[in-house]
This record gives sequence, C-alpha cells and structure tokens, in this order.
Amino acid sequence: MMAVLGWLAGVALVAGLAMGFGVAPREVTQGNVQRIMYVHVPAVWVAYLAFAVGLTASIAYLARRRPGADRLAHAACEVGTVFLGINIVTGAIWGKPTWGTWWTWDARLTSVAVVFVMFLAYLLLRAAVEDRERGARYAAVLGIVAALNIPLVHFSVYWWRTLHQPPSLLKPGASTMPPVILAALLVNFAALALLGAYFVARRTRVLAAEEEVLA
Amino acid sequence: MAWKDLVIERRSKETLNALLFFSLALLFVFQFALGPDRERLASVLPGLLWLGFILSGVLGLGRAFVVERENDCWELLLLAPGDKSAIYLGKLAGSLVLMAVVEALMLGLFVVFFNIDLGAALPGLALVIALGTVGIAAVGTLFAAMTAQVRARELLFPVLLLPVLVPVLLGTVKATEALLLQEPLAAVAHWLKLLVAADVVYLAVGLLTFDVILEG
Amino acid sequence: MPDNWGFVAAAYTLAAVILGGYWRMLVRKERALTALVRDDHTSRSRHPSRPGHPRPEPASRPPLP
Repeated sequence: MMAVLGWLAGVALVAGLAMGFGVAPREVTQGNVQRIMYVHVPAVWVAYLAFAVGLTASIAYLARRRPGADRLAHAACEVGTVFLGINIVTGAIWGKPTWGTWWTWDARLTSVAVVFVMFLAYLLLRAAVEDRERGARYAAVLGIVAALNIPLVHFSVYWWRTLHQPPSLLKPGASTMPPVILAALLVNFAALALLGAYFVARRTRVLAAEEEVLA
Repeated sequence: MAWKDLVIERRSKETLNALLFFSLALLFVFQFALGPDRERLASVLPGLLWLGFILSGVLGLGRAFVVERENDCWELLLLAPGDKSAIYLGKLAGSLVLMAVVEALMLGLFVVFFNIDLGAALPGLALVIALGTVGIAAVGTLFAAMTAQVRARELLFPVLLLPVLVPVLLGTVKATEALLLQEPLAAVAHWLKLLVAADVVYLAVGLLTFDVILEG
Repeated sequence: MPDNWGFVAAAYTLAAVILGGYWRMLVRKERALTALVRDDHTSRSRHPSRPGHPRPEPASRPPLP
C-alpha cells in the first residue's frame, strides 16, 4: 500500500517536471527563472495541507487518546515543516535574480518564515519531552495553537506590509494566470502531495517501530 | 494553603522587583544600542516599548509555575479537584496584574527618558496594551505549564512563545505607532480586531486544554 | 531578461537534496529499527521468560541512531 503510494508519487513527480519544463511556456517578464515557481508554490500548499492534517490529528488525539493519532500528528507536522523549508529555500533562490536580493521581508516570505519557526519549535518540544504520553499531550496542544495561529500570522504580516506602503513590492506570480501555468502548478501540487503522503506514511511507521523498540 | 500563598506573595514581590530593574536595564540598553539620534529613536519607540513588554512578559511568565515546581507542589496541582481551568484563570489573572504593573512603569520610564508626549493617545494606548497583554499572558500561562516539567525549560519556553506571539507583536506595535502619531482609534480598528481575535483564540485554547497539560 | 538557468538548477537540485535526504533518513531509521525489532523477537523466542529469569534490560540494546 505504502509502496504503491511511493511509486505513484514518483510517476507524478516525473509528470510534474515534464509540465514545468516541457509543457509550460517561457514566462514573458521573468524568463525561465520563473519555472522555480513550479516547485516553490506547490511546496507551501502541501505544507499547509500537512499542518491541517496535523491539527485534525492533534484534536483527535486529545479527544480519543489513540497513539495512531499522535503519530500522525507528529509525522504530518514534521513533513509540513520539511516542505515549508523547501518553499523558503526555493523562494530565496528565485528572489536573487528576480528582485536582486536573497531575502526580503515581504508579506508571503515573512509569514511563511514565522510559521516555519513555529513548527520547528513544535519539533523541538517533541524532542525535549522524554515521557511518550506526556510528549503526545503537550505536542497536541502546541500543534493546535500553532495551526490556529497560521491565519493570524498571515493577516498580521500582510497588513504590516501592505497598509501605508507604496505599492511597489514585486509579488511572485501573475494575477491573471494562463491555464497552462495553472495546470502545471496543479500537477506539481498533486505530485508533491503524493510524495508528502508517502513520507507521512513512512514516518508514522518509523514512529510505531520506535515505540515498539523502546517499550 | 496559607503558607503557599505567603510564598507566592514573596515570590511575586521578588519577581516584580526583578522585572522592574530589568525594565530599567532594558531602557539603558536600548538607548546605548541605538545611539543619540533622536529621530531614529522616535521612529522605533513603539517597537522598543513592546519589545520591553514582551521580554519582561517572557521572564515573568516563565516563572509562573516555579513555586509549584520547586516546592514539590506539582502533584498537588494535578490532584486538585474540580475544573483545572480555574487554575489557568487564576494564574492568568496573577500574571496580568504583574505585567500591568511592569508595563505601567516601563511606559512611564519611556515617557520620561524619551520625552514622549502621550496626550490624548493614552486611553487608546491603554486599550491596545490591555489587549496585547491578555494575548501574551493567555499563551504564556499555557506554555509555562507545558514547559514547567520539561528539561531545558528556560530555553524552550521563549522558543515556543515568541514565534506564536508574532501577530500580537505586529498588531500592538503598529497600533501603538499610529496612536502615538495622534491618529484616531478608528484608524487602527483592524489591528484591534486582530488582537481581539487572537485573544479569543488563545483564551479558548488555554481554557479547553489546560487540564490536558495538568494530567501529569 | 536573462534566463538564469543556474538558479533554476540550484533551486530544483536543493529541493531534490532536501527531499532525498529526508527519504534516506526515513529508510535508514526503518532499517535500524526493524533489525532491532527482529533481534528483540529472536532473543525473546530463544529465552522465554520464566519466573525469576530476568529479561534483557533495554539499556543493553544498542542506542538508536
């Protein structure tokens, strides 16, 4: 079952690359460097999907206390953090030729960075609590707080950057998106989502094995 | 229990004194780090003020459960009958009072040392400070209970708290900035709404999950 | 506008390295843990616990990577 997921992800990734480099056209204003978007944007979508799964699993764990829910929450938040890291890193590499700088405190980059740090702290808490049951409870609470905080972070950062600011910030991605670009984005999103699901499945299996060994 | 209350009162006075001296020290550090340029200082004052509030909040809240931990009263907390959220609210109220005192003093020091004219901004400012402080204390009390029994708690507590408090920091700083420029309260309505939303979320999660933290 | 293929390559390579690295970490952990679980089961079947017979302490197992 998990192997099927893995192979599906592999195929989808190839399809995604084909879409991103073969089918999608050379972008008019930015040139081919815009193709970075096909890994940068789907990565953050997958990350937020993962955090939503983490939120649900954390609530489910607090409600029923099933160890499976705790493992899912842990794995989902960890995988989400990995994909968010990819988003940040590819965003910086895109920013250098496009805006002339590796980093800028624009709304999207800043809010993603804050969410990234929040979930890094989640992983730190997981590592710091030795007792398994207590760690599960604490992490569930933190996971809920962090996930619910995501919209607050987005709004506060967006308002911080865009109100009373001259509208001169370059934003990645055109406001009108040609369908072929959207299609490439969606295919890559599906590919990364499948890969993320495969990672979560494997990670939960590793967590279960760890528990069995340490029992 | 009366002995415990006496210990708490003495500990609170210790904490209060320490935080007051911390505020003073922070003020000097800000002045020296930023130099004598009056205009630059004026532009970053709202940020500095809230930096001071949050840092003293982190210090004060980090000690919220120190009495229980050091005097082996943690089990007493766990075994306390009834709704544990009452403990949460009690700790929250205590922290709010402590932070209010420190913030009032810090604001006073800022007004004196940086020559701020509060004028008509004071009521609005008080509202923003109240909303922000509730948010800081609501999450802080929850996380303080969470880290009380964890190793490396002094490091983990600020690491957990500060990223989560970014929206509160942004909202309060921008609102304070506008109010100090004598803008009307209506101009910062969206920030106030954000702070209220954050406070509601943090209080709700705190009330609903505090007894989960105190399970053991 | 120049094409900056170097940056494109760098971005995709870095993403692949991060994802590949995470995958390798998962595979390695799984191998180590299944080996430990196997040893644990073999030793338990060879030495079924009897009253008074102490079971191997967890501390005697090799530490997890």
